[in-house]
Amino acid sequence: MINNALAVAGIVIKELYRRKDFYVLFVLTALITLLLGCVNFFNDDRIARYLKEICLLLIWISSLIIAVTTTARQIPAERENRTIFPLLAKPLTRGHLVFGKFLGCWFASGLSLVVFYFFFCVVSGAREHQWPLLIYLQALWLHWILLALVVAMVLLGSIMFAAPSSNSTICFIFIVGILLVGRHLHRIAIQLQEPIRTIVSVIYFAIPHLEFYDIREMIVHNLPPISMLACLIATVYAIGYTAFFLIATWLVFRRKSLTA
Amino acid sequence: MPDLVKIEKLRVEYRSRESQNGFKVAVDGLDLTVGSGEVFGFLGPNGAGKTTTMNVLLGFVSPSSGSASLFGVDVREPIARQRIGYLPELTYYYKFLSAEELLRFYGKIFRIPKGELEKRIDSILKLVELEHARKRLIKTYSKGMQQRAGIAQALINNPDLLILDEPTSGLDPIGRMKVREIIQRLKEEGKTVFFSSHELGEVETVCDRVAILYQGKLQVEGRVDDLVKNYKTNLEQIFLKVIGYQSSQAV
Amino acid sequence: MPKLFLAFLFVLCFSVAALRENTPSISVATPRQPDVNTGAGLLSSLMGDSRRMFANHFFSKADAYFHSGYYPTIFDRSASPERSHLQGGGGEQPEGEDHNHSEHDEKAGFLGEPLDCLESFGRNFFPSQHSHLETGNERELLPWLKLSAELDPQKIETYTIASFWLRTRLGKTNEAEQFLREGLHANPNSYEILFELGRICEENHKDTACAHNLYALALQKWTDEKNRGGSPDEFVCQQITAFAARLEERAGNFPAAIGYLEKLKEISPAKDLIGKQILDLRAKIDGPGIPLKK
Ligand SMILES: Nc1ncnc2c1ncn2[C@@H]1O[C@H](COP(=O)(O)OP(=O)(O)OP(=O)(O)O)[C@@H](O)[C@H]1O
Ligand SMILES: [Mg+2]
Repeated sequence: MINNALAVAGIVIKELYRRKDFYVLFVLTALITLLLGCVNFFNDDRIARYLKEICLLLIWISSLIIAVTTTARQIPAERENRTIFPLLAKPLTRGHLVFGKFLGCWFASGLSLVVFYFFFCVVSGAREHQWPLLIYLQALWLHWILLALVVAMVLLGSIMFAAPSSNSTICFIFIVGILLVGRHLHRIAIQLQEPIRTIVSVIYFAIPHLEFYDIREMIVHNLPPISMLACLIATVYAIGYTAFFLIATWLVFRRKSLTA
Repeated sequence: MPDLVKIEKLRVEYRSRESQNGFKVAVDGLDLTVGSGEVFGFLGPNGAGKTTTMNVLLGFVSPSSGSASLFGVDVREPIARQRIGYLPELTYYYKFLSAEELLRFYGKIFRIPKGELEKRIDSILKLVELEHARKRLIKTYSKGMQQRAGIAQALINNPDLLILDEPTSGLDPIGRMKVREIIQRLKEEGKTVFFSSHELGEVETVCDRVAILYQGKLQVEGRVDDLVKNYKTNLEQIFLKVIGYQSSQAV
Repeated sequence: MPKLFLAFLFVLCFSVAALRENTPSISVATPRQPDVNTGAGLLSSLMGDSRRMFANHFFSKADAYFHSGYYPTIFDRSASPERSHLQGGGGEQPEGEDHNHSEHDEKAGFLGEPLDCLESFGRNFFPSQHSHLETGNERELLPWLKLSAELDPQKIETYTIASFWLRTRLGKTNEAEQFLREGLHANPNSYEILFELGRICEENHKDTACAHNLYALALQKWTDEKNRGGSPDEFVCQQITAFAARLEERAGNFPAAIGYLEKLKEISPAKDLIGKQILDLRAKIDGPGIPLKK
C-alpha cells in the first residue's frame, strides 16, 4: 500500500516541478512583493506590515491555486490520457491510486509552501530585522495541514464532477467562502428566521473550518505564537476531515466505470 | 496444459442512448481459453469487441453475465496482476517523464529490487530500441516510439502472461518485425501471449491458435494450421469469409 | 492557465493602485458630481463608487492595523454599527491620545462570548485581544491611508489622520505637511485640512503669522460652506476658533482673541467657561499691564 502510494506520489511531485505553474506563481508573488517593497511611503523605510500582509496573501492565493489545480487534474488526466489502464493492470488497486495521488499532491504543495515561506522569511527579516521562527513554523505547518484537507476535498470533487475546470472552480468558491464567512455562520444564523436558521447552523457545524489554519493576522501584527495545544487540536481536526474525504473518494471511485 | 485465460459465456453491455433498448451488446456469449505457453491471436474487425474482452480480463469493465479468470483466479480479484504484462491500445504515457523514469515507476510498483530493476530497464530499452531516447521526455516521442515505450512497460515485470492490444499498430516494418521477434522469443521462454491484431500475415506466422470475433460473437476458433487445412486457404481469406465479406472480384 | 492569471488580476489591480503613489493624482480636481443622465456618466459614477468603497476599505484597514488586527469584520459590524476608531484618535480631537472610553469598551468586546466550542477554539488563530500600536509602530497605518487617499482623494479624514500620526508620533512634520497639501489640492475648500496645516505652522514651525492666516482661512471656508447651505462640522469650527483665540492670546493680541472667543461662545456648549475666559482677557486689557511685562 505505502510502497505503491509513494510511487504514485513521486510521479505527481515530478509533474509539479516539470510544469511551469509553480514557477510562474512564485515569480509573480516575488515580483509583486518586491515591487510593493520598493514603494516609498512618507520616506519611512521601516514600514513592514503591509508588505508582510500582501506577501502572505499572495502566498495563500498561489498555494491554493497550486493545490487545487494540481489535484483537480490528476485523476481526470489519468483517465483522459488512458494512463490509468496500464497502471491499474499492475498490482495496484484504486485505493492505492487515490491515496498515492493524495500524498503526491499534498507533498508537492508542501514543497512549494516551503519555498514560498522561505521567501517570506527573507522579506520580513530584511524589513523588520527579526525572525520569529516559531510562529513562522506554526504558520507553515497549519497551512500545510489545511492543504491536506483541501487536496482530499478536491480529489473527491475530481471524480464527482466531469471537468477538472468546473471542479476547481467549485472547490475554489467553497474554500474561499469558508475562509471568509465560515467563522461567522453561527452568528449569522441566529439573526435569521427559523427554517433557514437551522440550515445555516447545520452548515456551520458540518463544514471544515479552514479559517483555523489561517494565522496570517498573527504574523502580520507580530503577535505571540499560537499555543501548541491549539495547533495539535487543529491538526487532529484536519486529519479527521481529510480521512473522511479520502474514504469518500475511494468509495465513489471504486464503483466508477473507467471506460465511460 | 492448464488454462491461463478462461472466459465463459461472457456478455458485456454498454449503456447507449442510440439503440432502442438503452444498451449495446459489445461481447455476446464468448467462450475462450488460452493455455499456458500458447501464443493466441485475437482477431476481428473494428468494433468487434476485442478491446472490451481484454478490459474484462483486466478488471476495467465488469461483465453483465458470464465469468473470466486469469491463472484460475476470477478477474475481479486483483491478485493475479503481479504476473501480467498489459499493453493497452491508444495509450499515451505520462508526458513529463522519460522512458527510463516511466519504467522505473512501474518497476517500483512491482517491488523489483533496485539493482535488478536498472539492469532490466537497460535490457528492455535495448530490446525495443529506445536506448538513444531513454532520457528524453515521452512527449517528444513519435507515435511509434510511444508504442515501443508501451511494449517496454508491458515487459518490465518479466510477466508470465502478456495481454497486448494491437502491439504493432503505428510501428514501421522493422518495428513490426521486432515485435514479432519479441513474441517469438517470449514463446520460447515459455510465456503465454494473448494479443489482438489486424495484421493477419503476422498473426499467421507467430500464433499457435486464433479466434475471430465478429459483432461480439465468436465465429471461428482453432489452431492456425488446422484452420488453414480445413478452409484450404490463407488466414486472410478465412477472416473475410467468416465476417461475410464478398470481394467484388469474387462476385 | 487562464484561471491562474484571472486570479492574479485583482492582486495586480491592487498593486498598481499602490504603485501610483509617486505619480501625480490624475483625478485630483474632479468634483464629486455624479452625472447620471448619460450612460457614460452612470458608468463613471459607478466606478467612482467602487473606488470610494475600496478607499473606505483601506481606511478601515488602517484602523484595524492600529488595533493589531483586532477589529470587527463586516459581520461583527452589522451587529453593532460603529464609527471608525481612528477618527476618534485622529484629527477631530485636539489631544489625540485621549480615546473616547465608552466607545472603547464597546468595541473591545465586539467578539462577545463565544456561541459554541468551534468559535471559542477559532479565537486561538486570530487576534482576539484589544491593543493599540505604539512606540513608532503607528507607521504601519500609513500605507493604507496613502492608498485610501489615492483611491478617494476627496476623503478628508484620510489626510488629517495621517498628518496627525506623522507629526505627533513619528516626527515627520514635512511629510505630514506635504500630504496635507496634496489633500488641499484635491479639496481646496476643506477647512479641516487648513486647520491641520495651521496647527503644523503653529506647533511645529512656530510660525504664528502663517498659523494665523490658515486659521482665518479655515474659518472663512467653514462659513462659506455654511452659507452655501451645507452642514459643516460644528465641532471643528469650535476647535478652529479656540485655537485661533489661543494663538492671538499668546501673541498678546487680546482684542482679536476676545473676538474669536465671543464667536466661540455663540457656538460652544461650554458658554460659562468661555465667558470667564473673556472676562479674564478683558481684565488683562483694562489692567495696568504689569503682568504682561513681567
Ligand atoms: N465505453 C463505451 N461505451 C459504449 N460503447 C462502447 C464503449 N467502448 C466500446 N463500445 C462499443 O463496443 C463495441 C466493441 O468495441 P471494442 O473497443 O471492444 O472493439 P475492438 O474490437 O477493440 O475494435 P478495434 O479493432 O477498432 O479496436 C463497439 O461497437 C463500440 O462502439
Ligand atoms: Mg480495440
